[in-house]
Amino acid sequence: MTEAQVEPEIMRISWGPQHPMSGQTRILIDVDGEVVHRLIADLGFTHRGIEKILENRTFLQGIIPIERMSMVDTANMGLGYVLAVEEALGIEPPERANWIRSMICEICRINSHLYAFGLQAESTGYFPAVFLWTTVDREVLLDLMERLTGARWSYNFIIPGGVMNDLPEGFQDKVKEAVNYLRGRFEQYWEAMVENATFEMRCKGVGVLKREEAIRLGATGPVLRGSGVDMDVRKDEPYAAYGDLEFKVVTEAEGDAMARLKVRYHEIEESLNIIEQVAGDIPGGPVRVKVPLFPRPKPGEAMSRVETARGELGVHIFTDGGMNPYRVKINSPTLRNMYVFERMAELGRILVADVPVILYSIDPWYLDADR
Amino acid sequence: MEMETTVKERIFDRYHIPKPIYGVLEYIVAWARKFSIWPIHFVTGCCSPEFMQVSGSRFDMERLGVLPFASVRQCDCIMIVGVISRKMGERVKYLYEQMGEPKYVVSVGACPTGGGPFHDSYSIVRADEIVPVDVYIPGCPPRPEAIIQGLMLLQEKIKREVKIGARGG
Amino acid sequence: MQGADENSFVEALLKSYPELVEEARVLRPKRVSILARREKAVRLAEILRDEYGFIHPISAGAVDYPKDMRIQVIYYLTNPSQRFILTLRVNLPRNDPKLPSMTRVWSAMEFHEREVMEMFGVEFEGHPNPSRLLLPPNWRGGYPLRKDFKGEGVEV
Repeated sequence: MTEAQVEPEIMRISWGPQHPMSGQTRILIDVDGEVVHRLIADLGFTHRGIEKILENRTFLQGIIPIERMSMVDTANMGLGYVLAVEEALGIEPPERANWIRSMICEICRINSHLYAFGLQAESTGYFPAVFLWTTVDREVLLDLMERLTGARWSYNFIIPGGVMNDLPEGFQDKVKEAVNYLRGRFEQYWEAMVENATFEMRCKGVGVLKREEAIRLGATGPVLRGSGVDMDVRKDEPYAAYGDLEFKVVTEAEGDAMARLKVRYHEIEESLNIIEQVAGDIPGGPVRVKVPLFPRPKPGEAMSRVETARGELGVHIFTDGGMNPYRVKINSPTLRNMYVFERMAELGRILVADVPVILYSIDPWYLDADR
Repeated sequence: MEMETTVKERIFDRYHIPKPIYGVLEYIVAWARKFSIWPIHFVTGCCSPEFMQVSGSRFDMERLGVLPFASVRQCDCIMIVGVISRKMGERVKYLYEQMGEPKYVVSVGACPTGGGPFHDSYSIVRADEIVPVDVYIPGCPPRPEAIIQGLMLLQEKIKREVKIGARGG
Repeated sequence: MQGADENSFVEALLKSYPELVEEARVLRPKRVSILARREKAVRLAEILRDEYGFIHPISAGAVDYPKDMRIQVIYYLTNPSQRFILTLRVNLPRNDPKLPSMTRVWSAMEFHEREVMEMFGVEFEGHPNPSRLLLPPNWRGGYPLRKDFKGEGVEV
């Protein structure tokens, strides 16, 4: 039987919500042999109805469900909501609070990027060495956060008006120690992943997203910056203390899975620099402005944007003068990136074995896509 | 179940083996079973990072024999880590039915236990509306020490179950 | 200068295409709101994409105003060179919420329009894949984000 006589037969593989790696979603892969014809993302397995719940909570109570939208990256999510509430109330937090907020957000960014490293390594068969290294490195940062806020993951520390408490005694020295320790550890990740020939073979040239396509399809975060577009909300619309801190926006030009990994790696380096700047030069002053327990903003709307680890989060609050918001619309980064993932099969020729590598290089966290 | 009753009838009752040896055998079997609980690798919600840290090196849960495993048929525990939405609830039921007896369910976190911060949502279910739960671990998210204590409670439960010669599981 | 881009953009749009726009204003620095006429919404979207450079789609959502008997659909867009957010809004009557789909202008709106469809009951004509995104496929009735949703359509 020659090649011409064989008809292409499409088989649908269902990569279900229970599978050996992480991820609460179902990906349907239409394959013909090894070549993927179509990718379909079946979302909604972690839908909790957060937008409806927030209509039933006061503005301060609303911080709790919002922070659970992304547990590895909690502070950025909470900050997006708190910035919108502050805009609706018309208050400005003090400068010291802004610097503390930036530090907490960068710690969460490192937590989240470590998770992305671990998963991308697991998807290429590197299990579970790098993933378990990341759990150890994350413990250092979680200890810092526990010392500051009392909780490991969901802090409820960033509130409208500032932050809950000031830095404890000796905290800044502990931060510098942690930063030095982590800098030494992160070199090992570069050697294990980027300079590793087998890993390179799995990731270089896989899942290429060109610059125009990344903009047209609405990609965000490291996916967009890995394709050469330098959009980063921390520079475009500085919030918290990012206007005063020095850092670079990291971009890479190739647009493949390896480029996205490198973007995350360099972003971790920038985050460590930011944390060091905050620990060294933080200005004095109060950390909180008095805000009533049940604030009632005037009728109107407020829209905020923050740069989370996965991309741009937007929170749009509509108020009607009551104690609860009228409507909260959340623009999730992962939902935008999952659309890009679905279109990957049309943009280039991908094989079945590349699908996990591409998926985890996009770094989805389905809890914020499903809200 | 049939096999176990015939073992009891054939060997133990016919040769009148005394109760203390029976007890020792049960103890050994329970010891082997409780240090090899293999849960399904299935995390459904935001408690998943804490579960990840429990399997890391500081709070190692593998020293208790707990190894998250991918193939459902070879597991004997389902740890429901995090909030279950309606769409996911069907899958939890399928997975529970696919496991072989004897099987256990551990509900980790405040959300599957009693709703948690999303208790009034239209879109979540509680774990005990779908599957019978053995151990509840509260917390949002529960500390790794709490998760390990919950697993040790499950071990205690397994130790107290009578397996040799008992019908049903 | 703060707000210079946004103000000049709004003035230019109102001068060139007054018949497509009901209202256009700058809410605050970096936030512009445009309320389009329902029949001209797609035409305005194409002009925003081709002439003014809004090629980077962010998201789409909706708000339910039962007192005014309308549902307002909002599209969030940004321009990679000027980088402010534009919210393109369309008011639809609550008993007949139909709108031509914007996927013919920005294909990335597909997921977001699916979510608005299942949460509010808005019908997008010409949508390539009008199926449920987040709710389970056997969800019976009830649009969760409407204000009169009482939990119907929920099955245990």
